[in-house]
Amino acid sequence: MAKLVRELMRPGVITCQPEATLGQVAKLLTKHHVHALFVSGADGGIVGIITDFDLLAGEWLSGNPESLGVMRKLTAGDLMSSPVNTIEAGAPAKEAAKKMQERVVRRLLVTENSQPAGVISISDLIASIAGRANPRRETVADVMSDAFLTCRDQTPVVAAARSMTSSGWRSVLVVDAFGKPLGVVSGLDLLRFCDFEDACEQVTVADVMHPALTIHMTATLQEAANKLIENHHHRLIVIDQAQPDSVPLGIISSFDIVAEMARPESIWQQDQ
Amino acid sequence: MSINPIGMGEQSKTEREKFEKELKRIIEASNNAGLMLRVIGSLAFQIHCPKYGYLQAVMGRAYTDIDFAAYKKQSREIKTLMAGLGYVENREVFIISEGNRAIYENSHNNLHVDVFFDKLDFCHVISWADRLEMDAPTIPLSEMLLEKMQIVKINEKDVIDTIMLLLEHPLRENDKETINIARVARLCANDWGLWRTTTMNLEKVGKLAAGYPQLGEDLKSQVQAQVQQALARIEVEPKSMAWRLRARVGDRVKWYKDVDEVQ
Repeated sequence: MAKLVRELMRPGVITCQPEATLGQVAKLLTKHHVHALFVSGADGGIVGIITDFDLLAGEWLSGNPESLGVMRKLTAGDLMSSPVNTIEAGAPAKEAAKKMQERVVRRLLVTENSQPAGVISISDLIASIAGRANPRRETVADVMSDAFLTCRDQTPVVAAARSMTSSGWRSVLVVDAFGKPLGVVSGLDLLRFCDFEDACEQVTVADVMHPALTIHMTATLQEAANKLIENHHHRLIVIDQAQPDSVPLGIISSFDIVAEMARPESIWQQDQ
Repeated sequence: MSINPIGMGEQSKTEREKFEKELKRIIEASNNAGLMLRVIGSLAFQIHCPKYGYLQAVMGRAYTDIDFAAYKKQSREIKTLMAGLGYVENREVFIISEGNRAIYENSHNNLHVDVFFDKLDFCHVISWADRLEMDAPTIPLSEMLLEKMQIVKINEKDVIDTIMLLLEHPLRENDKETINIARVARLCANDWGLWRTTTMNLEKVGKLAAGYPQLGEDLKSQVQAQVQQALARIEVEPKSMAWRLRARVGDRVKWYKDVDEVQ
């Protein structure tokens, strides 16, 4: 059965006052780890929305001290988009997707009986796509992650750590200028070289990375598990057999294999 | 003869013909050399408005120099061409403008030629990229309109040229003897600052046209109708995200560049 908006939305609405300065809005966005705030009016009703993209105007238009002075005085009420695009909680999720496409917006205010109840964003809809099971899960290609975190060899470890933290990834693939895999930096590598006493600002990922272990996409999950255990690695780089020095096709980690074992349809979940 | 620095004043027929003849000489030489040199400024409006060009003289709009648009990749060949025609380049202008503009002086006829390479970069940037092939011997009509409409502190001479252009040519979606208003609308939809100045000036032209005794009521109405049609077309063009964001800030932040006039 088709999912409803209320099943995918995030409940609650984070708001700010129209008088909030751009600096205050930036602090709230960062504090709540969100990309937009709804602007509430004097009666508590939602009167607009201000996003991180709107805040870019602050940097964009403050090229000289005079403009900077003007932009610093601007408020959420000045820069917000209004009226806000809304959708009822009981509407099908595909209606939310259609509305976002038509109006070129990234989020909708969800209402329940015309009262704000939550927010549904593109990320929530994408997450629902990601949750759909791949019907065929036998080879590395079936379960690997096709998108992954990469950086160049001269990237400072501080920047790699920041990207790993913000993306939720536990490793970064290090590549050369042409995308050829050079190595992998994992959380363990960073712990080893950056204890809290030592400064690590000058250390690059090339200094701390370990060799990348590779596998072909047609290999079975058992072959991948064997390779991980034999080499005591937590992830394998999936390469293109025809072009092994090109950008890798994906990454398969111990977590991907365990997640496959945890699926209700998996042989590991069947009664003996 | 008394002509003020902004191109308004009585100008004799002989003096006007001096500019027109010299322009013809430069265009012929440029065509023979296979160069893409296109007329802009007052003379472009005169060339492209055979029916209403008389308004320049009637309304006291004088020629002060000869202006061209060209591609930077031909700047060297243009310099050679102008030298062959007796002109000396003011090298300082070319260097200071980083190769975007060249000024040539002719001590024999006391004429001054300005060449703008790749773009007109005054209050707003109007690019010529891939546009000079669209018309000859002038720039396309839409760029002629924008050339005037991008001036924040628009002068009377620019208003007169615009009135002539709007009387002479219909607004359409292509460049064939028509003002390509779709192009104007597209450029304005991507740049709020250009939109702000262009719409402000179009409204100004409509209002000022109503006050010229040299224009009959029918011509005044015709200008008004053209202005309204242009504004309506610009209004309906879908605006970019950047445009909409910039619009929310509005006039609070300056939307144009100040112009340092090279004399």
